Amino acid sequence: MTTAAPGAKAVFAVEHDTPIPYMQRTRDYYLALGFAAYRWAHFAAVPFTPLRTPLSRARVGLITTAAPYQPEVGDQGPGAPYNAAAKFYQVYSVSTESVPDVRISHVGYDRLHTSAADMNTYLPLARMKEAAAAGRIGALAPRLHGAPTNRSHRTTMETDAVELLHRSREDEIDAVVLVPS
Amino acid sequence: MCHQTVSLVARHLEAHGIPTVIMGCAKDIVEHCGVPRFLWSDFPLGNSAGRPFDLESQVQTLELALRVLESAPAARTTVQSPLRWNADAAWKRDYLDLTKLSPEKIAERRKEFEVVKAVAKAKREGS
Repeated sequence: MTTAAPGAKAVFAVEHDTPIPYMQRTRDYYLALGFAAYRWAHFAAVPFTPLRTPLSRARVGLITTAAPYQPEVGDQGPGAPYNAAAKFYQVYSVSTESVPDVRISHVGYDRLHTSAADMNTYLPLARMKEAAAAGRIGALAPRLHGAPTNRSHRTTMETDAVELLHRSREDEIDAVVLVPS
Repeated sequence: MCHQTVSLVARHLEAHGIPTVIMGCAKDIVEHCGVPRFLWSDFPLGNSAGRPFDLESQVQTLELALRVLESAPAARTTVQSPLRWNADAAWKRDYLDLTKLSPEKIAERRKEFEVVKAVAKAKREGS
């Protein structure tokens, strides 16, 4: 835990115990490999919509970047090497009444320090079902949606986000939890 | 890329009246983009929703995200989960660590990435 216990002595953390600078590391890495620097999306203005319905009465959606398992495209299991063939490029939706088999071999998760062996680390569907059953949220949306991870900002903003908004409205949700892999 | 994708989607949903919260591990990417609400876990990428096979961690992570969703006072609200991946922070040095790669290994990685790009391009164009 990072919360200090009452009365605990304050101790300096080691120098590298800071948020990992992923943008800088990615930039340096691909430059070293001989590729151009990627321009990460960056905005000065940020939209904000207050939650108008108490969560105990709200229908909450879930959006993931995990990919549906495709048996024909090779290893997608825990610790599998990066598998570009497992990528997807269209928004997909599956019923939240099911337990979908979604994997993350198509993205650059930390393969050295974790293995994606437990789907609940990147898809909190079971935990959200429990939250609905306990009344913490009013209901879980009938579908969860998959967002393609595209290098093109334009495709994400003008195609995929538009489709995800459309499907979210169809589901008549009050709020959304988004979980990157 | 995943963190940027959900950040862009969250912004779009929020701009059209749907409140959002992101649960994620890459703090810089999400905050650089700029999102309404963010529950940050200082965990290796792949563990946005909690530690593997650790029910308590997953429950706590979701609960914190829900609290951020209902209580954030303004856009760009980030809350850091109090959970630690490991008492030793050495793992944070390893991701894409160039100092551990020889010139030969870098050349090998370049070839691998060319293959990955070609596979992804073929898949994208076929979809």
